[in-house]
Amino acid sequence: MSIFSGRSARGGLEGTVTGGAGGPVRDGGAGPAPDGATWRRMHPVTPALRGWKFFVAVLAIGWFQVAQDLEQTLGLFRGHRWVVVVGTLAVVAVIAFAYSAVAWRMTRFAVTDDAVHLQSGILFRQQRRARLDRLQAVDLVQPLLARLVGLAELRLEVAGGAGSAVSLAFLREPEAEALRTELLALAAGLQRPAAPGVPPGTPGTAPSALPGGPAAEVVGGPGSPSGVLPAAASPAGTRADVVIGSQDAAAPVADGSAVPVTPPHGPVPLATVPVAPGPLVAGAPGPVLTPGPAAGPSAFQAAPEQQVYDLPMGRLLVASIRSGAAVGVVVALIAAVVLVVLSRDPGGAFVLVPGLIGAVSVVWGRVNQGAGFRAAISPDGIRLRHGLTEARTQTVPPGRVQAIGLQQGPFWRGRDWWRVEINVAGYGAGTDQGARESVLHPVATRDEAAAALWLVLPDLGTADPRGVIDAALSGRDDEGGFTPAPRRSRWVDPIGFRRHGFLVTDRALVLRSGRVFRRVDVVPHERTQSLGLEQGPLQRRLGLATFVVHSTPGPVSPRVAHLDGAVAAALLDEQARRARQARAVQRPEQWMREQG
Amino acid sequence: MSMPFEPDGVTWSHVSPRLASARLTTLAIVVVPLLAVLVAVAVLATPWAWIPVGVVLALAVWIAITVRRQVRALGYAERDDDLLVRRGIVFRSLVVVPYGRMQYVDVTAGPLARRFGIASVQLHTAAPSTSASIEGLPPAEAARLRDRLASRGEARLAGL
Repeated sequence: MSIFSGRSARGGLEGTVTGGAGGPVRDGGAGPAPDGATWRRMHPVTPALRGWKFFVAVLAIGWFQVAQDLEQTLGLFRGHRWVVVVGTLAVVAVIAFAYSAVAWRMTRFAVTDDAVHLQSGILFRQQRRARLDRLQAVDLVQPLLARLVGLAELRLEVAGGAGSAVSLAFLREPEAEALRTELLALAAGLQRPAAPGVPPGTPGTAPSALPGGPAAEVVGGPGSPSGVLPAAASPAGTRADVVIGSQDAAAPVADGSAVPVTPPHGPVPLATVPVAPGPLVAGAPGPVLTPGPAAGPSAFQAAPEQQVYDLPMGRLLVASIRSGAAVGVVVALIAAVVLVVLSRDPGGAFVLVPGLIGAVSVVWGRVNQGAGFRAAISPDGIRLRHGLTEARTQTVPPGRVQAIGLQQGPFWRGRDWWRVEINVAGYGAGTDQGARESVLHPVATRDEAAAALWLVLPDLGTADPRGVIDAALSGRDDEGGFTPAPRRSRWVDPIGFRRHGFLVTDRALVLRSGRVFRRVDVVPHERTQSLGLEQGPLQRRLGLATFVVHSTPGPVSPRVAHLDGAVAAALLDEQARRARQARAVQRPEQWMREQG
Repeated sequence: MSMPFEPDGVTWSHVSPRLASARLTTLAIVVVPLLAVLVAVAVLATPWAWIPVGVVLALAVWIAITVRRQVRALGYAERDDDLLVRRGIVFRSLVVVPYGRMQYVDVTAGPLARRFGIASVQLHTAAPSTSASIEGLPPAEAARLRDRLASRGEARLAGL
């Protein structure tokens, strides 16, 4: 694996664009699937779900055009002219759906033991291959329309950045879930079992129910339809080897149940204590999906999961109202009323309409994305469910969270609410989609914020994790063992200088800053990419420096400003050393392999 | 470590002073036509246009003075497990990139850089904010650095 200017070497994503319109196509068309896997297609209803967006877009453009002149529009509907209008719309609809149908026909995917292959594109064919051992997250997304028909989109995030996800849209819901289970198991390093083949006519597998043709097997050598987990006989080698919530473990609950698990705040090594037969043995009742009749014989069973926290709708609504955007809406409304009263011209208020729409859409976006937010822990990693109109289920395997950030604006100070966000390689930063995906808890109380941190870092590396968390969230100066910024930094940051500080634990680096807008960033040592020191002219006069931890693109940018220069330099050196040591002992990327 | 930007036991390698010449040439290419246009406007149209001429001239002179100092301040050091890159005079920065975190190494040389016989080596990790780029290296040194970084990166491969 050389690291010259070849971007695909380690990102896990390799894409080749082959051929143009009419040119010879390499490996496209009817090429055989790699490793004997079979090509599969998305559900036939996909073109309808895709095409309607284009149709609505054209409709909207047309509407904006005609809305300029209402007289002319009404004239269109006189006489036989409306036939022309309807005819045009029908033609546009047919073109949109036909294009989507052709795109559907040219799209197919295959799953092998170590990669997912996706072929797509009509004029410019594209082959994308995502390596499973580079899998960063697996998301199941259901837009509103797809949810109504029982379809779902499966998104695989590899570390290529915002646009590099392999998106399989749309599959039937049970099939998508079975595929997700299989991909997570393969990414975890579990071997596909070589069980004797099962005749396709077994009850529960109806090949005719599968979309797209005769191939009902996922791969050569289908496993048994009841989904026996490989090596289930020996407890040491199964997913049940993961301890979740040790002494406080409740029985595994089905999705949506509200039995909370009290996460222990002491050091609990996640992967070393074999679990006693009880709650988490694979095969226990719970949200286990035996691959249903339409999912085809898949060899893996879904991992059990335990809910850790959920967000009540009331708190989400109150928090969305107590936010800057809502305050902006109120201010805009008041300003509009004042304007109208002063100028006695109702038209003057329309100046504020765009701002109002923007603020309302932000508030609506927060509510829409955070509704029904639930987080659970499973051997597959962290599982997040949220969304009102678009239901999204994210699975982030262990070791894929690059950094965690907690922030609190002034409006939430009274209720002590925090917003918890994470950096995951592959969830783009700054894009709307990326911001939606990177939330670990939209509105967390302090206990839930500690639970969210425990989800990512079960072992914080100190003797008193709760004390450290409290000191990080609301402490000042050197409370909790933090190394603070020196007093002379008050010349450059008079408001927040008492909050700037850092703390090094055995497992992570905790950075704290901000007094009005509080911020805490936690970076596990083994997830440090690179480190930096920055110093401006004013800082040099005062002997200060800013310490920065570079992390993958995402909402969390860990940095501490205005530390003492010598302290920052020492931290740089030590952190580089600690990161190297942590990298040497971190769990492998295939997280089940070490226990197998 | 006594000073933040002078780590102990580190010998800094410096880049070729030809980088300063390359940067000054770029500056000249940009500034001279701009000045010509402004002077023409000032002579032909209005005397008030001498003000922007003065401003652009002052800016160009200031940049020309600092370019040499900036190039002298650009340094890099290869330690056992990481690479350090230091840059800047007024706004200083120091970046530490572990070899095991490097994703790929870019060596680039535009037409002007090739004329002056320098190349630029840029390290990439999974974090786009890692701005560890070293400009102004002679091509032989750039190739050597690239090969050393590549082999050390492979030796300490650490995934994402």
